[in-house]
Order: sequence, then structure tokens, then C-alpha cells
Amino acid sequence: MEKLNYDVVVVGGGLAGLMTAHEVASAGFRVAVLSKVFPTRSHSACAEGGIAAYMDGNSDPSDSPEFMVYDTVKGGDYLVDQDAAEILSYKSGEIVRLLESWGALFNRQPDGRVALRYFGGQTYPRTRFVGDKTGMALLHTIYERVSGLNVDFFSEWFTLDLLVTDRRVTGVVAMEMKSMSPATFGAKAVVLATGGNGMLYQHTTNSYINTGDGYAMALRAGAALKDPEFVQFHPTALYPSDILISEAARGEGGILKNNKGERFMTKYAPMKLDLAPRDVVSRAILTEVAEGRGFPGGYVQLDLTHLGEKYIKERLALAVEAGRNFAGVDPVKEPLPVRPAQHYYMGGVDVDVSGANPDLPGLFAAGEAACVSVHGANRLGSNSLLETLVFGRETGQAVVKFLENSKEVRDAPNPEKVVDDAYSFVKRESGVHFGEVMKELRKTMWEDVGVFRDEERLKRAVSKVTELRKTAVNMYVTDRSKTYNTEFFNALELRNMLDQAVVIATTALNRTESRGAHYRLDFPKRDDKQWLKHTLAYLRGNTVEITYKPVKITKWMPEERVY
Amino acid sequence: MKELDKEVKVKVKRFSEEKGTWWQEYTVKVDKYTQMTEVLKRIKEEQDPTLSYRASCHMAVCGSCGMRINGAPRLACRTIALEEVDRTGSDTIVVEPMDGYPVLKDLVVDLTDFYNRMYKVKPRLHPSEDVLKGKSEHRLKPEDQSRLWKFAQCIWCGLCVSSCPAVRIDVEFLGPAAHAKGYRFLSDPRDTSFEERAKVLIDSAWRCTYCYMCYEVCPRDIEPVEAIKLTRTYTTKFGPTGDASSFGERHSKAVEESIAETGMLQGGKVYVKTYGLVNSLISMIELMKDGKATKLIMERQKKVRGIDELRKLLGEKQ
Repeated sequence: MEKLNYDVVVVGGGLAGLMTAHEVASAGFRVAVLSKVFPTRSHSACAEGGIAAYMDGNSDPSDSPEFMVYDTVKGGDYLVDQDAAEILSYKSGEIVRLLESWGALFNRQPDGRVALRYFGGQTYPRTRFVGDKTGMALLHTIYERVSGLNVDFFSEWFTLDLLVTDRRVTGVVAMEMKSMSPATFGAKAVVLATGGNGMLYQHTTNSYINTGDGYAMALRAGAALKDPEFVQFHPTALYPSDILISEAARGEGGILKNNKGERFMTKYAPMKLDLAPRDVVSRAILTEVAEGRGFPGGYVQLDLTHLGEKYIKERLALAVEAGRNFAGVDPVKEPLPVRPAQHYYMGGVDVDVSGANPDLPGLFAAGEAACVSVHGANRLGSNSLLETLVFGRETGQAVVKFLENSKEVRDAPNPEKVVDDAYSFVKRESGVHFGEVMKELRKTMWEDVGVFRDEERLKRAVSKVTELRKTAVNMYVTDRSKTYNTEFFNALELRNMLDQAVVIATTALNRTESRGAHYRLDFPKRDDKQWLKHTLAYLRGNTVEITYKPVKITKWMPEERVY
Repeated sequence: MKELDKEVKVKVKRFSEEKGTWWQEYTVKVDKYTQMTEVLKRIKEEQDPTLSYRASCHMAVCGSCGMRINGAPRLACRTIALEEVDRTGSDTIVVEPMDGYPVLKDLVVDLTDFYNRMYKVKPRLHPSEDVLKGKSEHRLKPEDQSRLWKFAQCIWCGLCVSSCPAVRIDVEFLGPAAHAKGYRFLSDPRDTSFEERAKVLIDSAWRCTYCYMCYEVCPRDIEPVEAIKLTRTYTTKFGPTGDASSFGERHSKAVEESIAETGMLQGGKVYVKTYGLVNSLISMIELMKDGKATKLIMERQKKVRGIDELRKLLGEKQ
């Protein structure tokens, strides 16, 4: 097997991975970015509404970074580490300025400064945006920037697993998808920036590539996932294709209505209305539908018509495009059909504010792959783009420091085993196909580990997922092709998905309270006495081991969360 | 929605290094919302896991799923199966890999050539040192933002290059996407390397044939040909940078002079002014052999009525 050596390997070429690579390469270290897609195809491109930032001299005069920390902490239902939220907030302005200086085409105010708008859960408007394609704009900007640096890109390389030697991470094994030839990448540090795992759910706004590969690799290497039970459902996915209709639609004045034409959010969030956080709105929509006030098929309407054609087209172009192309509805003239769908994963590889994992020296994570605990139990809209860049940069800088004090590492003893394990599916003569297992998994997660949870459903989910993991051991790949064999990679993705699913279902069953996006019908109240703590989950074979870690509170004591 | 469920046949051009090329047909149930990415996904998950294709965001922002659908370069996600059936009147949808790139497997093509075209235009802003160091800040007029954003929305899907006849015959032509990207930085008031960019872009811009295929196929409505036209307008100011732009610049001057003089396009005269006397004579001999030169030689130099009005308009333009 070919052996390559780098100072750092970054797995994932989205915003977080590229920002980390930027910092490492700028400090003169050798960095490889491995991505199973060409970087600009990463899911960061799908972020729509914007990036939150407090900018000195360009924010609401009453706003301050403190308010932003508070909004984030409250939005996350107090499961946020407040030191992390402070970094996120206080560095937000400089991050937007940095991306602007690299050429990002933010919408502007008449005087040429970056424009801003409201998003859910914000006391003052702070979201900076490029129409409703902010993620796409920022991803291209940063890829353009980083592709001009001394960074080696390995695009369409599928990372199989982390290499661990002497209880520290020493690289990865990856495979070029085109030639199917594996290689080991030796490195003193590995950064997982592999994004989220929406494909675990039958209904998701996520890209097909979002199979949470990094979470599974971290689990298999012996690292913990933090707060794995917290899965965000976005209230307004287009019916029936689950394409995201940005929260910006409500930030700009869009209104949710039930089949009686009522603005039902007056009942659920009398003050913030349609701009309550996502968990609140998602539950409200599904309650309306369950109580017979939805439309056939199970959706409600998002009405933009009163905003006027010019305004809608200028600020919500993608909503217009999606409505027209994918639902046959022109949002300028009629309301959009929307329903909740999985959208974001608050949980992730356990890391501190420097992106470092405490279990395995040399392991770092950033972006949605990581759980820095800035989002707590529920992420606020336009904080995810911000997190990828702020903590992508923090992580990159921490990696540089780590390298400066890092000794040479020993080669992993048996990287061939990683490849053999992967190839076991191809060598088999019969068994199940990934498609069969995948369908059942996504259905189970949607129905039993979804917006509304209870003990019965979660127990059912745990046993179902455990059973599917056993079935999947006998996965069989029919395609014998030695170039771009996507069936083989889909099988590996499914293996990754199953490893996370069992952890998510188990930890959701374990947390007997409701907090943010984790809503238990049998425990509908938040319970700070018992549960103001982070879950840490390890996967040992078929067993999920759970421990806890305190939440870092600097100044905002938990209070009731009303909107 | 049940009543809308309909069966369509999907005929896919397959390829693998081991087996070569073959056609394969699948039958898939769809409704009026079903995107072609979903059709392919259902084939892969339920019928034939060996089918390879690229797809990711299914909302036309990642640019992964470029392919030929019923002969046209399209993003699969932007193509609704039943709309294709309506458009062609056939229940069979034909799916092939994108043209113009080597096929790796089934619908997966090698886009290296496309990416290299993009890198040639140095696709990144070169801001001033002060801005990079955070000492000063860019401001950008809202109208500049929206003008540039139009061309900045390229998702690197490769469809325009796949559909472009000029890139196939002219190795010097950068192709539509690279020009859209190049122009986006060439005309960005925040950029500091205008000259360097002009050198890369201007001559290539004159190699476009204005067939408008890129305009036709771009899923993000970027209109690369528009960027190419705008890039050509810099030739006068910057000067030609190679053969194509020299001829181009002379040609547009000759056209303008011809119109100012007579109000008509005097083909022969324009030709001579563009390509010079020697080249024109050679061309004329070629044409005479084919019997096509008489019209040019016989051309009358009569002025059109209202020529004064026309000259006034030309004067206004300058």
C-alpha cells in the first residue's frame, strides 16, 4: 500500500476543513485535505440564510456581543458551554470581515457596508448574507483562497478509518475512488471536518453525502461523541422533496399558516412568533398537523406573498427557485408547502474550544463533525456557518501549536487491516445489499428517534438498529468494478451510519428530560437538577457506554426558555 | 398524490473499464415532483446497486450531478422526470454521461480538464495588502455586489464546457465557466491584479463563437457568454494580447467604420481591414475556387437613407 506523509491530514473539504487547512498551511506545515467529493460539492454549499455576526460599527446600536452569547445560550436551552459561545460571538465580526476581504460578495447596505437581517432567536438582527445562497458563496470564496495556497487536495478520496498508534492518532487510511487504490496518510494530527449525518433520517434537508463518516471513525478509534441525542429538525423543508426553505424566509417576514389560514405560532411562541427557534417551530407544525389543521400529506403553509415580488426575488431567490422547480408553487403568488425535516446535528466528536479531542492526542474535529458545545441542545439559525469558520480557525491554530510541540510518530503497525475490513463486503459471495438496510434505518430513525420521542419508541429504535447492525455485517457488494465503484462506498457509508445510529438512539433513551431539540413526550420538562450535563458516549462493540461532563457556565444561569 | 404515480422507463448508457459500454433499461415509479437524482437513487437502492453516478445536494447548488438527459446537458436534480416525459412525449428518459469529458464509470466523468480551466484564471480575489492585514476595509456598492454576484454563482458543474463547441476545436479558448469566473474578478473593484487577469482573459474571450449554448445550459443562469462579451470590451482600453484579440479588435473597428460610412456592413472591406490585404487575397483565391467570391467583389458602396441619424447615434455612443 502506498504511504504518504504529512504534518496534518484534514478529512473533509467544506468550510470547517478548508479554514483549518488555511491556518495550518499559512503556518508553513504540510497539509493534505481528503474529501470524498470535490471540495465545492461539500454540504456547506447548501447553507442558505446567512452567518451571524456582531460587527463593531455595523450592528444594531443596542446590540452587543454579550447579547449574542445570551441568545446562543438560551437558544441552546442552556446546554451550551458558555466559554465556547463567547469565542463564537466575540470573534464573529472579524470572521465576516476576513471572508469579505477574501472576496465574499455579501449583500450590501447603500453605503457599501455588509447588510444584515433577522434570524430566529436573535434579540437584534445579526445575520450577514449573500442572497439565500450564503453557504455556496462562502464555500467558493474559501476554496478559491485555499486552492491558491500550498495545500495538497485529495478530492474523491474516501477515508476509511483513523490510524491509532501508542494511544494517539497517527494518520488515516483512505482510498482513491477513481482507482480504488488505498493509501495510508501518516500525520501527527488528523482533523475530522466531515460534516453532519442527515442521511440517517428518511426526511432531511441534507446532501446525499452527509453520512457522518467522521463520527463513526472517531467512535471506532475509541473517541467519544458528545451530546449525540441532539438532532435538529428544520421546520420549513419543502414538501415533498425536503429541500430547505431558509429560515431567512421567516426572518424577512414570512408567516406560517395552518389549513384554516390561522397564524398558529401565536399559540406556541406569542412573542417571537414565526421567529422562535427551530425546535419550537418544528414541534408547533407537527402538532398542528397531528391535530388535523395541516394539509393532506402532512404539511403547513409558509406565506411570503405579502412581501412583494421584487423583495422576494432579491433576498430569497433560492426559495423562489425551489418552489417553482421542485413543488410547482410560485412563492410570489401562493404559499409554499412546508414540513419539518432533519437538518443539523448538534452532537459530534467530543472536543474542547481548541478543537482537540481529550481521548486521543492528535485527534481534532471542527464544524458539524465536532461538538464544541456552542449549540447546546438546539442550534440557532446562522450560527452553523459561523461555527465552521470561527472554530475551523481556532482548531487550525491549535493544531499548529500542537505540531510545534509534537514529536515524530511511529507508523501504525497494521494499516492493511483497515482495507481488509472494508473489502470484506466485496469478497463476500452473498448477503444483503446496502439499499435494503439503509431504507429501514432511515425509517426507524425518522419514526422513533425524531421530533417527538418516548421510551417505547426509543427502545424499539435501539433494538431495531442493533438488529440492522448485525444484518449489515453480511453486507454484499455486487459491483466488481475496480473504478469508481460507488456501491462499495455506499456500503461503507452505511456501516458508518449504523455505528452512529445505535449511539444516538441509546443516548436519547437515556436522557429522561426534554431540552431543546430532544423532546420526550414522557418527560416533557427540562430537568436541570439531573440533566444539566453533557452526554459522552463511547461505542465498544455492540455496547454504548455513557458518561457525563458538566456544562461550562460563565455568567448566564439557566432560566425558563420562553419565546 | 397517489393518482399521479406513473411509471417511466429510464435508459442509461453504462460503462465500466471491465465491460465497456452498454445500454440498460429500468422502470421506475415517479410522481410529478420526482427529480432525476431521486430516480437514479431509487434505481441504485432498489434495483441495481452497480449503477454509478454523482449527486449530492439535490438543490442545484453543489454541481455534482451534471449529465445528458434526453440529449441535453442538465443537472439531474434540476430535472423533473415527468416534465421530461411531457416535453418529449416519450415514456422513456435517456440518460448518458456528460459529453466532452472522459467517462470513468457509467455517469461519472473525469472533470480534471474542467478544473484546470478554472485554475488558469486564478479564481480568487487579490485584495490590497492593507485589507488583507485588516488595516482597512472594503466597501462595495450594492449595485456592484449584484452585478458581480450574477457571475460568481458558478457551481463548477461543467455543463457549459460540455456543451461548448469552441473548446473542442480551439485549445487556446478557456471555455465559458472560466470566463465567467475570470470576469467576476477582472471587474471586481476590490481586486488589485487587473493587468495579470486581462492578459489571461482578453485574447481567449475573442475565441468564443457566440453560439449561446452556455447561456442555454447553465443551471444557475450565469450567462457566461455575457461575461465573455464584457471581457471583450476591455480590449480597446488594454490592447490586444494575441491573435484572436488583434483580429477581433480590428474587426469591430472595421464594422463600426463601415456602418459609419455607409450604414451597411461591407463584408469585403471589413474582411480586408480585419485580416490584412495578403490574407484577404489568399482567402479570396480560396473563395473563387468555390465560386463564392462574386458577391463580395460586386458589393455596392451605396449609403443607406438616414445615414446622418445613424452617425449621430454612433457619436452618442462615444
